[in-house]
Amino acid sequence: MKLFLYVLTQVCITLVSVCGIYILTGLTGMFSLGSAAFMAIGAYVSGLLVLKAGLNMYAAFAAAIIFSVGIGYVIGFPIVRLRRDYISLVTLGFGESIAQLILLLSQFTGGAFGLIGVPRRVNVWFTLISAVIVIAITAFFKTSKFGRQCIAVKSDELAAQAMGINASRVKMTAFLMSCALTSFAGCLYAFYVGYVGPTDFGWKKSADWVIMVFFGGVNSLTGSIFGGAFLTFLPQYMQALNKYRYIVYAVLVLIILNFKPNGVFGEWELSPRNLKRLFSPKKNRREDV
Amino acid sequence: MALLEIRHIYKNFGGLRAIDDFSLEANAGEIHGIIGPNGAGKTTIFNTITGVYHPDQGEVWLDGNNITKLPQYKITHMGIGRTFQNIRIFKGLTVEENVMCAFDPQSKYSIIGGILPTPNRIREERRGRELTRQYLDVVGMLGYKDEKPENLSYGNQRKVEIARALICKPKVLLLDEPAAGLTPTEVSELTDLIRKISADFGFAILLIEHRLDLVMSISDTIHVQNFGKTIASGTAKEVQNDPAVIEAYLGAEE
Repeated sequence: MKLFLYVLTQVCITLVSVCGIYILTGLTGMFSLGSAAFMAIGAYVSGLLVLKAGLNMYAAFAAAIIFSVGIGYVIGFPIVRLRRDYISLVTLGFGESIAQLILLLSQFTGGAFGLIGVPRRVNVWFTLISAVIVIAITAFFKTSKFGRQCIAVKSDELAAQAMGINASRVKMTAFLMSCALTSFAGCLYAFYVGYVGPTDFGWKKSADWVIMVFFGGVNSLTGSIFGGAFLTFLPQYMQALNKYRYIVYAVLVLIILNFKPNGVFGEWELSPRNLKRLFSPKKNRREDV
Repeated sequence: MALLEIRHIYKNFGGLRAIDDFSLEANAGEIHGIIGPNGAGKTTIFNTITGVYHPDQGEVWLDGNNITKLPQYKITHMGIGRTFQNIRIFKGLTVEENVMCAFDPQSKYSIIGGILPTPNRIREERRGRELTRQYLDVVGMLGYKDEKPENLSYGNQRKVEIARALICKPKVLLLDEPAAGLTPTEVSELTDLIRKISADFGFAILLIEHRLDLVMSISDTIHVQNFGKTIASGTAKEVQNDPAVIEAYLGAEE
């Protein structure tokens, strides 16, 4: 049970950041290999504000998220004007430089020792409620005018602009949403684990999240959440596999991409209407004819 | 002053002169056809008007505003709607969402409404959905609103594209080869649709088309392009008898 609650917390924190990646990669088609850096910023800024400035935890969360969005705004400027493949390169460079910066600013961040003694004030229920709220926010975002415009830009940027959509602005909105959510995941992480290490947030973590989104279904929030939960649970419950985790990952992703190029769920979303359709195949067939 | 005024635009791609001094004046309610062999620079004219490229020289004026240097999305906001030669429908959105996302830049709610169901969001979404259905009805595609557009026939995809352009509230509508790849029935349906929207909405229509029967029958003025130059312009009868046009299409007499 204890293990389950521990893993559940990991899953919830992962899901918060996966929602961010879903908005960025799933909806808008931008691949980031530096998203974990925003998790680091969230974790360090909130942790430091509580430890060194004695701020209230919730205020520290808000401040950390606002700070991340500010940083995101600055590096977002070049990013939203770049082609997809270059976005990965810029974010990769940004992510790695943040990791170095954390090591260099050792008088604040504790350098290679990490940030020790963050009060462990976040428990499993806090992360669970956070994850549910974040998922709801993401679902609302997807069905809003912002979500539609994101999908339009991903599908065909030139046509989107010809329909009056300001593609740079739409991409910036998606990027900042993603920054805010990953940063929030960082806050949760810091105050759950009680320790923030500089090596926890490399590009591999960002790549993990992208894999989760692709595995579950790049066009489907339901799928991304499934991917995030499944691929976090799996290695924890197959400890023997842990060493081969990336091999399992790679094989699973290869199998999925080979046989279901759009991920497990494809475009299917969990909604009352889709459920009704799923369970009344007869009626569905009649409609087709 | 005309609604749309294109004044002596030029566009080069490296050494290729894609547009060589093109001018056009269009008023509300008029249909202008642009014809010419492949590579004559017709689509480049559309791309230059809509801001995909900016002209090397010359100006484009819409309703008294100089729109030459504006970014693409702003030109659309000023009042130019278009469809594409090779259909560019948004995959991942339903037919209704495709049309609705062209309304979204006009939809007035902030990012707070983007993540929470605020009253403002609900009201604006409803307004958008009603308008969308209205325009889908105009093109006769209301019954397909929940379909995925990539599953529709070519002709129906064209209609969705037209509805998507209409919801941008254009003053000038650019149709780039709307009949390409359509069956004869679909072509006659499309001709009726173009006539209908031209009469109902009273905007100017610019039409690029290879099917001469379609162009000749619905255009008020026809501009014939060849190698970037306008070799003739006038009514259907005038250009049909123009020796330069006959030479471009059939070759000169030996």
